[in-house]
Amino acid sequence: MPAAAAALPDTPKYHVVSAFQPKARPGMPGPYPGSVISVKAEKSIDPETEKVDAAVVAEMVRRGMTALTGEPAARDAWRKLFSPSDVVGIKVNCSGAPGICSHPVVVAEIVRNLVSIDVKPAQIYIYERFKNQMDEVRYDRYVPQGVNVVAVETTRSQIGNYDPRTYVEVDFFGEEDTRSNLVKLVSERFTKIINVPNMKDHGAAGVTGCLKNIAYGDFSNVARSHRNEKTNTLSFIGTLAMVEPLRSITTLQVMDGLRGVWHGGPFSPTRKFRFYPKQMMFGTDPVAMDRLLIDIIDNKRKAEGANSVWDRTHVKPGRGYGDDPNIQRFIREPGHIEYCSKLGLGLYDRGKIQLKEIQL
Amino acid sequence: MFLPILAVALPGLFWEQGPETAEALKKAGVECIHVASAKLDAWKRAGFCATAADLSSYEKLAQPGVEYRTDVASATRAPWVISNAWRLLRARAKPVYYDAGKGRAELCAAEAFAYGASALVGIDPADLDRFGDMLRFLKRLDSAALPVRANIGFMDDGSPEAGEVMNLFTRRNLLFRIVSAPDPSLDLNIRLGAPEYPRPAAANPSEFASMVRRKLTDDKRLLRIYGSDVVIGRLTGDGSRVRLHLLNYGGKTVEGLRVRLLGHYPSAKLSTPGSDAAVSDLATAGGATEFSIPSLDTYAVVDLR
Repeated sequence: MPAAAAALPDTPKYHVVSAFQPKARPGMPGPYPGSVISVKAEKSIDPETEKVDAAVVAEMVRRGMTALTGEPAARDAWRKLFSPSDVVGIKVNCSGAPGICSHPVVVAEIVRNLVSIDVKPAQIYIYERFKNQMDEVRYDRYVPQGVNVVAVETTRSQIGNYDPRTYVEVDFFGEEDTRSNLVKLVSERFTKIINVPNMKDHGAAGVTGCLKNIAYGDFSNVARSHRNEKTNTLSFIGTLAMVEPLRSITTLQVMDGLRGVWHGGPFSPTRKFRFYPKQMMFGTDPVAMDRLLIDIIDNKRKAEGANSVWDRTHVKPGRGYGDDPNIQRFIREPGHIEYCSKLGLGLYDRGKIQLKEIQL
Repeated sequence: MFLPILAVALPGLFWEQGPETAEALKKAGVECIHVASAKLDAWKRAGFCATAADLSSYEKLAQPGVEYRTDVASATRAPWVISNAWRLLRARAKPVYYDAGKGRAELCAAEAFAYGASALVGIDPADLDRFGDMLRFLKRLDSAALPVRANIGFMDDGSPEAGEVMNLFTRRNLLFRIVSAPDPSLDLNIRLGAPEYPRPAAANPSEFASMVRRKLTDDKRLLRIYGSDVVIGRLTGDGSRVRLHLLNYGGKTVEGLRVRLLGHYPSAKLSTPGSDAAVSDLATAGGATEFSIPSLDTYAVVDLR
C-alpha cells in the first residue's frame, strides 16, 4: 500500500446527528464482507457505439447475484437480500451523464429482478441528487410504469427534500452553511438501498465507486469539502456513509463497469478518457469493491502514461486537468477507502478480499 | 443599559407616474404616495393622498439582490449578496431611497421594513401589484417594537472599512448592533483599531468576519441559517418572545431553509406575503430552537414564544 494512504492528516471535527439506531447487522459491510464477484462479458457493450446488450447484462446480473449469495436460482438470490415488503431505493450515479452513468439497461435489470420477487414497482425508487443530470438518462423509458424516478434537488442547492434532523455538521473552510443533510427518502421511506456506482477516476477522491456514490450522493451541501487543491474526501466520505439509517439499509452494491472513466471524473464530457472494462461487480462490502476499483483505474492510468491516483504532487488548480491526465485539480484522496475500512464499513486488505471472477 | 428598539415603519412609494394611474394604485391597495413637488398639485386635484418628497435629502441605496461573480476568485463559493442592512443601520433615522429597478420592489420594501428604516421606494410600474401585496402584508404584521438581538456590539466610526465589516457581518448572519461604547451584555464588542481588532485586519473584511466568527464561536450565535447563502436574518425580541425577519436576496424561492435560534421557543408562527403556512420540524433541544421554512420567496417573519 502506498505510504500516502496511511498518513492521515488532521481529521475535521465532525458532529453527526441522527436519531436512527444501527441494525444488528448493518447493510455495509453486510452478509458478505470481503467478497466481490466480478463478471466480465466481452459482448456487454460495443465500444464504438456504446450500445449495451440487455440480454448479456441480464446474464451478468444473474451470474453475479447467484455467485454472491450461493443460491442457484436468481429469484432465490434476490430473495436472500430483499422481500416483497421492502421499499427499495436504487442509488444511481448520473454526474457524468450522458457520457457515463449507471446504465439504464443495468438499472432496468435490477428493477426487473426486484419485481420478479414481488416488490411492487411503486415500492421502487431510482434516485439521484440532481435533476438536470438525471434528466439526461431518462430511466423512465427503461423501467415498468409505477417505478419512481426521483431527483432530490429539482433546483440546485434546495434542501427541502433532505431530512433536517439527520445530518453531519462540520466546518471545513469557514463556510457559513456547515451542515450536510441526509436525503429524506432514505430516512423516511426506504427500507433497503441498492448502490449502483460506476468505475471512475475522481479528481478529489481518487476514485468514485461505491463509497463516494453512497456518501456524497445521499447528502446535501457536500461540494464544500473541496477548496483550492485541498479536499476533505479522505474522512468525509466515510463519515457520511456511516450515518444511520444509510449504513444499515444499504444492502447491495452493483458496480456498473461496462464503461469507465480513467481521468477527469466524475464527469465525462468527451470520450477521450472513457474506457470499457466490460464488467460488473457484485457484493455487499463497498470497501472491498472500491479497493479493487483503485487498481482498475490506476492500472488504466499507468497504461495510458498518466500519473497514479496516489500522486500528490502534480496539482494545478484551474481547468488544465480536464485535458491533461498528468495534471490534477485537487490532491486526490484514494485513502478514503482504507479510512472507511477503519470505520468498519468493509475489508481493505487486498490479501483478505475474496475476488471471484466470472468470464462470460 | 440602553437597548435599541427596532422602530416599525412602513416604506412609502415614490411614484413618478401621473394621476391617470390613480386607479391602478387603488387597485394595488396603495392609498398614499410620495411624488416630486412639481406633481403634487396634480395628484391633489385628483383627490389622491400624496406627499411631496425631495429625494436630494434622502440617502440613495443600492438595488438589493445577488451577483454571481463566477469569474472572480474568492475565498468562498458564496454568491455576492447586495444588502443595504449596514447602510440602514448606519443611517439610523435618516431617510433613505431605493430606486428598486424591475423585479426588486418587494425586496426593497421588505428590507426597509425589517431594519426599521424610514424609506421611500421608487418602483417599476409593472411591479405595482406585487409592491402593493407586500405593503398589505407589512401592514397586517403585529407592529410591536422589540429590542434588537445581537451577539456583537460594533463601534461604528463611520469609516469605509467599518462599513464593509458591518456588511460582511450582515451577509454572514453574524448578528450585531451599533454601540457607542462596549456593552458587557454582548458576547463581543468590536472597535476597529483596538489591539485585538487592528484596523489593517479590516482591509480584508471577509477574513475579518471569519476571525470574529471564530472568536464568537458558532455555538454562541443567536442565529444560524442552513440551506441558503442568500438569506439574511434580522432578530428582535425581549425575554418572552422573538421575531425573526428572513430576507431572501436570491430572487428564487428557497425550499427547506433551516433556522437555528439560541433559546427555547416551543411555539413558532410563520407569516409570509403569500400564505401563512406553518414552520415545519420544530424542535427544541440543548438550549436552541430549530425549524424549517417549507418555502421562502422574498420575505418571511417568524414570531416565536
